[in-house]
This record gives sequence, structure tokens and C-alpha cells, in this order.
Amino acid sequence: MELLPLLFVFIPIFTAVIMYLFKPGKWAWFVFVGQTILIASFIFYVIGLPSDLTDLLIIGGTNQMIRISFYNDITSLSFIALTLLMWFVILLYTYNTNRKENKFLFFLMFLEGIFLGLIQTNDLFNMFVFLELITILVTILIAYKKTGSSFRASIYYLLLNTVAAMMFLIGIILIYYSYGTINIQLVKQMMGEHSDTMTIKVAYIFMLSGISVKAALFPLFTWLPKAHGVAQSTISALLSGLVVKGALYMLIRINHQMFLGAGYQTEDMIFWIGTVTSIIGVMFALTQKDLKQILAYHTVSQVGIMVMGLSHMEGLSYMGGFLHIFNHALFKSLLFMGAGIVIKAYQTKKVYEIKGVFKTMPWTAILLIVGMLSISGAPFFNGFVSKSLVKYAFKNDMIKMVLFTIINIGTVTSFIKFSTILFGKKQDITYPKNVKQHLGMSLIALLCILIGIFYNELGQFVYQVDLSYVHLFDILSFVDYALYLIVGYLFYHYVIHKDYKPLQKIREFQLTFENANFLYIVYIVIIGIVVIL
Amino acid sequence: MNPILTFIIILIGFYGLATSKNIIKSVFCVTIMETGIILLFLNLGQLEGGMIPILDRLGIDIVDPIPQALMITTIVIGSTITSLALMLCIKIFHHFGSIEWKVVLRRGDK
Repeated sequence: MELLPLLFVFIPIFTAVIMYLFKPGKWAWFVFVGQTILIASFIFYVIGLPSDLTDLLIIGGTNQMIRISFYNDITSLSFIALTLLMWFVILLYTYNTNRKENKFLFFLMFLEGIFLGLIQTNDLFNMFVFLELITILVTILIAYKKTGSSFRASIYYLLLNTVAAMMFLIGIILIYYSYGTINIQLVKQMMGEHSDTMTIKVAYIFMLSGISVKAALFPLFTWLPKAHGVAQSTISALLSGLVVKGALYMLIRINHQMFLGAGYQTEDMIFWIGTVTSIIGVMFALTQKDLKQILAYHTVSQVGIMVMGLSHMEGLSYMGGFLHIFNHALFKSLLFMGAGIVIKAYQTKKVYEIKGVFKTMPWTAILLIVGMLSISGAPFFNGFVSKSLVKYAFKNDMIKMVLFTIINIGTVTSFIKFSTILFGKKQDITYPKNVKQHLGMSLIALLCILIGIFYNELGQFVYQVDLSYVHLFDILSFVDYALYLIVGYLFYHYVIHKDYKPLQKIREFQLTFENANFLYIVYIVIIGIVVIL
Repeated sequence: MNPILTFIIILIGFYGLATSKNIIKSVFCVTIMETGIILLFLNLGQLEGGMIPILDRLGIDIVDPIPQALMITTIVIGSTITSLALMLCIKIFHHFGSIEWKVVLRRGDK
């Protein structure tokens, strides 16, 4: 079955069509059948791969220059596994509430197929097509709530991301013009031939700027909190957990693989973009009062940390950034799903109005605590492993360490604020008990803890990287975390909780669409200057 | 057509995006930008006096078919995005009573 990679795209789309064709609710169970077939065929596919785990599928012939092809290696296989896991959990989470919404299930399953296509494709133009389809489907899913704010967020998302995809397309055109092919592997081999010319430099600038908008890097992240804050909790979990990572996957494919031979010195620039993104994201998250807005701004800051790791082309820091993509997908979707349950039960999104979650719904509260400990980098949880690895490359650099510590303290502080919802007396509220939702979330929480403890085995068997640099039982890391907690609590109690004027100003800050585009032009010019000089 | 001219069309689209205060104008600026990109790509594939690309005409100068095939796809995607954006504009007008970015982004921020 050499055509299995194609089936990964078509099985979810086929499932989606069945959802759409038949009576709402009657055939909803079929999503699980489709998902199970997909997971089974993925396991079958991985077993059949050669030992270096790479596979190239050329569709309709053998000439790579003119044919469409799919390419899989260890990076893309990891992403596929993550996608299948996340969709399974999301379907479990959303099944009871959205079972009768067959159009919702249609778009959700369609998005899975398109996302798997984006991950596997080896063709730049197909990558663009999948990117645009993801934009369209996500727009519809954000607007699905049919409220004013969701329409507003979705048009902002749609237009800004379309502009970004257009920039990516200009890059593709210039690459085709120079190399005569849009096959990523072939362009990678031939990269040295034209990489000094202005055309390829401009292509690199445009492609990187397009990816930056998709990945929500500073200053182009303004669409993300709007979109992730107003969508349904299911969709927020999916977007924050996975769809943003699609852009980081493209960053690995384009920047780390395709433009590897060009040798543009952009590691420092990407590192500083990541750092600024992370700090600004934390700063906004600290001032928010809305549960989902806090989580959405934290996605921005965590993406910054991932980019800080990924800015190093190889080594432990790269591995840290790469692992953080997966860890973040797990704990952020856990937090969004938990917040969704809490918001539904309490009928409000305001942090300070929700009290006593721990006594009212203990199991949800425990899952939320696992998520919070993971995101703030507590030892024995997965966030700790990847954050320690990201720190590896600059462990002797004072300024970078200070900045990273500031980000960590900011994260801890805003999750201390988040955790105030747990304390307090038991509330007298009724909410629908749902075993399926908690089943999926518990699976993710378990994975968070397992990766946090057995990271060495994961590194050795899957990625052939020695991760023993991270010491789990190092007393210093516990002291560090305790210090973060103390500083974070003081900071929360004396500054954030008081809600001073400047904090309100930051919270109410809005970037209009035209200013976002103006900033985008400035951003392109700045990376242009860095790359060309 | 000169590639410089197509770049100017793209820049006009970008200028419009960075200045227009109306959602529908922004939608059409995206369309203008996309038209510029399509022209740029078709421009690179054109050949003065070239023949239609059919396989049994080997030896004769033929036009590169790939840009045309790719740009048809881009046009389809572009029209989808325009129609989806215009649909959202109608919904936004029903909810907010306006299609100015400023009004829409400010209103309802309780």
C-alpha cells in the first residue's frame, strides 16, 4: 500500500462528506469509525517504513520535476501522530454537544484531512493551496458561533492570513522562476546554485514573512487572541494546540530544510523575534481578565519560546523547540478544554467571578492543575523538559538567561491569577456530567506527566538524541521553580491584582486592521534589510 | 507586460490594505494584490511567439504550461476567499450596523 499517505488526506474528507450527506445526528458515530481507520492505517504505514523512516511518494509517474509528491520523515511522522491524537481527543470532547451539528463535524473532519496534507506535501504550490484551505476552514469554524464578535474575529483572521499566504505565493513564484521546479527536495539539492542572487533572497524574505503571520510572531500576532478567544472551546483548543503549529512545521520545512544550503545568517534574527514575541505575549496575558484571552495570549508567548529553540539549526536547543511544539499542543489544549467546561458551568468568562472550581468539579480542577504546572515548567511535567532544553544554547549568556527568566516569571504569575478560580467555597451550580470529555482530557494529562518523566527514553528511541542534559532530580530546578512561585505570587498580589492604570491601557489596546498591515510592511522591510545585508 | 508593473499592482493592493478604513475596501485590496501576483506568474511563463503546449509539438518553442495551471487554482481560491469575506461583511453589517473597521472593532468590547 504505497498510496497510504494519500489516504491520510482522503479518509477524513470522506468521513466529512458522510457527515454532511446524511441526517444530522444519525451518522455522527461514524467520525469515530473514520478516525479509528485513520489511526490503524497510520500504524500500518509506520510499520512498513524502512529503518530511516523516510518515504517519498510520487503521484502519477516517476519524474520528480513535474509530478506532485508527498514526502515523510521523522518530523512529519511526529506531526501526523500528534494530529491524529489531538483530533481523537477533540472529537471525544465535542461529541456530546455537537453531535447534531453535522455541518460543524463536516468542517472539523475536512480540516483534519487538509492539515495532514499540509504536513506531508513535498510541493510548494500544494503547500500554498493547503494553507489557504486551512485559512478558509478555520474562518468558518471561528464564525460558527454566529455572534458579532466571532464574525469580527473571523474576518480579521481571514484577511490578514490571506495577505500572508499571498506573500508566500510570491516567494513560490520567484523560486519557480529561478530553479524551474517547486519540489521542496529538489530545490533543497539545487539551493546553492542561485542562492546569492537577489531573486532568491527576496523569495526567502517573502516566504519567511508569510510564515511569521501564520505562526503569530511579533508584531503580527494580533489576529490570534481575537480568533482563539471568541471561538468555541473545542475550536480554541484545536487552533492553539495544533493549527498554529502548522506554521512552525512550515518554518522547519522551509527555513531549516529548503533554505539550508543558502546559508543566510538569520539564526540571531529569528531568535530575537521569538524572544520579543514571548515577552509581549506574556505582558498582554498578565493584564487580561478573560479566561480564554489569558490562554490565547499565552499561546503567543509559548510560540515565542518554540521559535527561540527552533532558531538554532540543530542540537539540543532545536530539539527543545521541537519538543515544546508537542508539549504545548498537549497542555494548551488541556487548559482550553478545561476552561471550556468551567465557562459552560459558570456561564461567565471573567477570572475574578469564578470561584471554588476545586470543590465544585474536582476532576476538572485536577486536570487544569496538571496543565498549569506543565505550562509553567514545573519539574516532572513536560513543559520543564522542553524549556530546559531551549535554555541549553544560551546557558552562558547572561542577557538571554535574564530575559528567559522574565518570561518564566510572567508565565507563573499569570497562571497564579488563572488558578484563583480553583479556590473558594463549593458553588451550587448544575452542569451536565460528561464522561467522554474527561476521558480525552485525562489521556492528554497522562501524556503530559509521562513525557515529563520518561523524556530520556523518548529522545533515545524516537529521535536518537541524548536528552540526559535535563536532570529531573536536580535540587536546583526545584529551588528555581519555588523561587518563581514566590516572586510570581508577590508580583501578582502587589501589582497585577491591583489593576493599575497602565495595565488597563495594555488590556484595552487594539490594533486596527490597517495598522496591522502597516506593521506587516515594516516587518518585511526589516527582515529584508537583515537578510540582504 | 513588464514585471515591474505587476509589482506596482501588488504594492497598490498593499497600500490600500494599510490605509483603507472600510472592510469591503480591504477585501478588494486583497483581490487587487492577488491579481497582481497572478499577472506576475503568468508573465514569467509567457513566451513571445510560443505555441500551445501539446506534447507532439516537440522541437517547437512552447509556452510553459505550469504557471497557467497553478494560476487557475489561485484564481479559484481567490474567488472563494472573496465570496467568504463578502458574506462575513454582510453578517457584520447586520450585527454592528457598520462596516468601518474602527466601529466594528470597538463595539461590543464589554
